[in-house]
This record gives sequence, structure tokens and C-alpha cells, in this order.
Amino acid sequence: MESLPVALITGCSTGIGFETALLLARKGHRVYATMRDLKKARSLKEASVGLPVEILTLDVDKASSVKKAVAAIVKKAGRIDVLVNNAGWGAFGAMEEYSDEEIHAQYETNVFGLLRVTRAVLPVMRAQGSGRILHIGSLAGKMTFAGIGLYCSSKYAVEAITESLRLEVHPFHIEVAVVEPGNIRTPFKVNRRQAKIFLEKKSAYQNVLERILYFGNHPPDSAPGPDRVAKTVLKALQASRMAIRYPVGRDAIMFPLIRWFLPDFLYDQVLQMRYFQFQKEGLP
Amino acid sequence: MNPSVVLITGANSGFGLATAQALAEGGYRVYATYRNPRKAGHLWQLSKNMTLFPLLMDVNRETSVDRAVRQILKREGKIDILLNNAGFVMAGCWEDLSDSDIEAQFQTNVFGLLRVTRAVLPSMRKQGSGKIINVGSVAGFMGTPFLGAYSATKFAVNSITEALRMEGRPWGVDVTEINPGEVQTNVVQNARIGQKVKSSSSPYTAFTLQVEAWQKGRFEKAAPVGIFVKTVFKALGDKPTKRRYLVKWDDRFLYFLRWLLPDTLLEWGFSKMLY
Repeated sequence: MESLPVALITGCSTGIGFETALLLARKGHRVYATMRDLKKARSLKEASVGLPVEILTLDVDKASSVKKAVAAIVKKAGRIDVLVNNAGWGAFGAMEEYSDEEIHAQYETNVFGLLRVTRAVLPVMRAQGSGRILHIGSLAGKMTFAGIGLYCSSKYAVEAITESLRLEVHPFHIEVAVVEPGNIRTPFKVNRRQAKIFLEKKSAYQNVLERILYFGNHPPDSAPGPDRVAKTVLKALQASRMAIRYPVGRDAIMFPLIRWFLPDFLYDQVLQMRYFQFQKEGLP
Repeated sequence: MNPSVVLITGANSGFGLATAQALAEGGYRVYATYRNPRKAGHLWQLSKNMTLFPLLMDVNRETSVDRAVRQILKREGKIDILLNNAGFVMAGCWEDLSDSDIEAQFQTNVFGLLRVTRAVLPSMRKQGSGKIINVGSVAGFMGTPFLGAYSATKFAVNSITEALRMEGRPWGVDVTEINPGEVQTNVVQNARIGQKVKSSSSPYTAFTLQVEAWQKGRFEKAAPVGIFVKTVFKALGDKPTKRRYLVKWDDRFLYFLRWLLPDTLLEWGFSKMLY
């Protein structure tokens, strides 16, 4: 057991983190599955019986919590070979109508939290002279969708973090990549926080947002489950050298391809038209 | 028709100052905001003989933003154009930045931009027209090492522009973005550096020196600020605006390369320049 590569995964209580923890453990990793709230650990505990999975508390929003968890893992395992930055959630609303606090909270977890864990783990990986960091980004980090603009902007930032960090840690033989799931059947609905003004039905954008929300709440049955993302994480870890981006799902591959193919002004037109369509359609 | 009212943030130097001056000369009524009164001397000087009105506004504080916007609306009854220009560069490799360094970078470049936009948008929606121009950067579509935090904020601005563009259009509010590369401003002198960048314990010292020298060379050959002002006028003239404006040929070339080359090849080229 001592020789197993050690993986730290954040946000493991549900969805992508949950599946990734199980898959990596089955495929020969010693997994430290972390989550903010240990009360939500039961299903993972039950699913991981007999597997080298240890559940720890880690709140990416809090520097002390991050430091403590990383120190605990280093003390127990002596090393960290893999970091999967998965913890995150999605804000829903119009850009104009988020409060200062809502904007800050979105970035606190999706951007600052991701960086906090990364910066805590980097010294360990540098000392080892090896390590792999995978950010769970999103298709929304490559393209902006109406109604989740704030979430998209946080995922755009993750793309920039990946690209810049890759080159900085290159001399230390640390590799960084971003996994970009498209529409995934995850309990992400639960991880969505709607802007207060929208919940109170006082938004100037109420109708179009309701329509977009309905659309977002009904992913096609063909959308892959979170286990597909876990498989992609494993694929990246098994590659001799990690690529920069790992899209997951047909939409995550096709949409950026379409965007690449279309001239900027046409793509811009498509976005505007889709938004007008949302506005016209109204609720079913 | 009444002359258009413009609000420019971070107008006491660089892009902001040059644009404020040019627009005021062009007959616009320009509200040029600054955060630090001690650095606003030049603005007050200019205000003596043109329609340029210096105004105190700290984009990092909601009360300050709301107060300034209210003041303008009270005096003019409208804001036609918003140039979201306030921003700075936090330099340093990711590991050399502290939590508060990163927070400060996003606070101004992202949250500040959103704060001003959110304060201005209701009035624009009410009048059924308005134009918002966000100042992005070439680093907003190329993840740049050593400027990772800055780059991340400008990536975010890129996405924010796209979202606002969709959401604003039905109300007659046109949102666009200018992505300048290196232009002669004080952006380098005004850059802040991360807590541990100059510390002897930083494992990135050699890399830091390398990048600094490389960037200094690029900025010495940079284009004059007029080229940015010209682009602002172009964006103001276009109805509707384009999704994004680039200001000089080498930025356009970079944008083209980003489009053309596979990510890994582009990165390989980048790493050859740095290492």
C-alpha cells in the first residue's frame, strides 16, 4: 500500500468528485477524498468499503482548513502525487443582478479555493520533483452561456490558471491540465445557487431566466454521467504526458469546434439569436 | 441632442486619461474617475478648459461606486457610455502570490468592473440605450505565466463581456471589449508584485528575472497610447459594436495564432521563448 500514488481530491461528497475518488482508488491510488461537510460522507463511506479511500474535511474557502488537510495527508502518506481540484458550484442569474456577496462567493470557491489548494500542494510536489494537477473546469470555461455568466467567468479564469501555471511549474516536472465536462447528469442542480433577486421573482430578466433555467434543468438523456468525467481524469493520469485540455462529452467537443470554425462575428450573431429565442419561447 | 455622457474609470493615467482627454475634446461630457486624490492633479488641470469632470470613485468599494454614479445621474440625467478601464497588474508566479494578492487582483479587475457595470446598467436599461466598453487584454485570451493572476482576471472579463452582451442587447445596451497588447502606459510602473516574488526563498527567482527582462524589452518597443484611443473611437462609431476590438497588428497576429495553432504547439512556442 505504501507504494500506491497518493491522490487528493476536493468536493467528493457527490457527483464528479465522488466518482473520481472511487475510480482512482479502484485503479491503484491511495485516495484522500475531501469535502467541506463530513456529514455528507456517508454514501462515499459505504461505496468505498475495502478501497484505499480516506475521507477528510477540507473547506477550500478557508486557508486554515486547506493547510490542515494538506499537512495531515503529507504526515500520513509522505507525498501527494495527484491533485484533482473539483470543488465548485454554479451561480445562476443575470450579471446585473448579483450582489457583491454573491459574486465574491462564486469566486471564493471556484477560483480562490482552487488556487488555495494548488498553492498548498505545490511545495510538496516540487520537493518530490513530480506531480499532476487536474482542474475540473467546464465547457463553460471556453464558451459563455446566458444565465450562468458569472459561473462561466470563474471557469474562464480556471482556463487562464491552467495555461499560466503549466509553464511556471514545467521545470519542476509538475504537469497541469483542465478537464472540461459539458452537460453532465450530476447533482449539479443541487450545487446551483440562484441569485436572490431571481428567487424572489423580482428580476428584470425573470422570464428569460426562467426559460434558461428550465432548459438547464433538463439535460438530454444522452448527456454522460459523472463517471465519464472520472474516466477522463484517469485517462489523463495514465497518459505519458498530459495534454492541456480534456473535454468530456459530445457537446464539450463539438461546441468549441463550431466556435473555432465560425468567424467571430457569426458566432456572436448565433449567441444573440439564441438569447432572443430563449426570450421569445417563454415557459413551456 | 444633448452631448453624450461618458463615465471612465481609472482615468488619472494611461488609457483612461488619454481617452478622457480625447473624448472631452470631441465634445463628450466626460466623467473621469480616480481613486487616489493625490494622483488626480492632471485631471483637475484638464478640467479647467474642457467638458471633463474629475470624480472620486474607488471601484473596490460599493458605496463609493454607487455615490459617484448617483452624482452623475443627478447632474446629467443619463450615462450613455461606460468605459471600464480601472485595473492593474499583479505580477508573480502563482506560488509566490498570497491569498490577499490574488484577492486584490480580482477585487479591482473583476469585481470592481462588475460593480460599476451593475450600478450603471439600470439607468441604461431605462433609457433603452447605452454602450459599455470593457478594457480586456491580450492576456485575456492567452494564459500568461508570471502574469497568471492578471491573465485570469482578463479571461474572466472576456466571459463577462460575452454574457453582458447577450443580456444587454434586448434592452438596447451594447457591450463590447477592447483587448490591447503592450502599449506605452504606466501599467508596468504601476504593477504590484506578489508577496514572495522578491523573497530569496522563492523557487521561481530565475524565471522571474527572465520574464521581467523579456517584458521590459517588449514594452520599450510598445505602441503609443493614441492607438488605444483610436480604437475606442472606432468602437463608439460602430452600431452595433463588434464582439472584440484589437488595437495593433501584432495583437491581431497573436489572436490569429491562437485560433490557428493547436494549444500544445502554441504552448511549445511560448515555452521556447521563456526557457
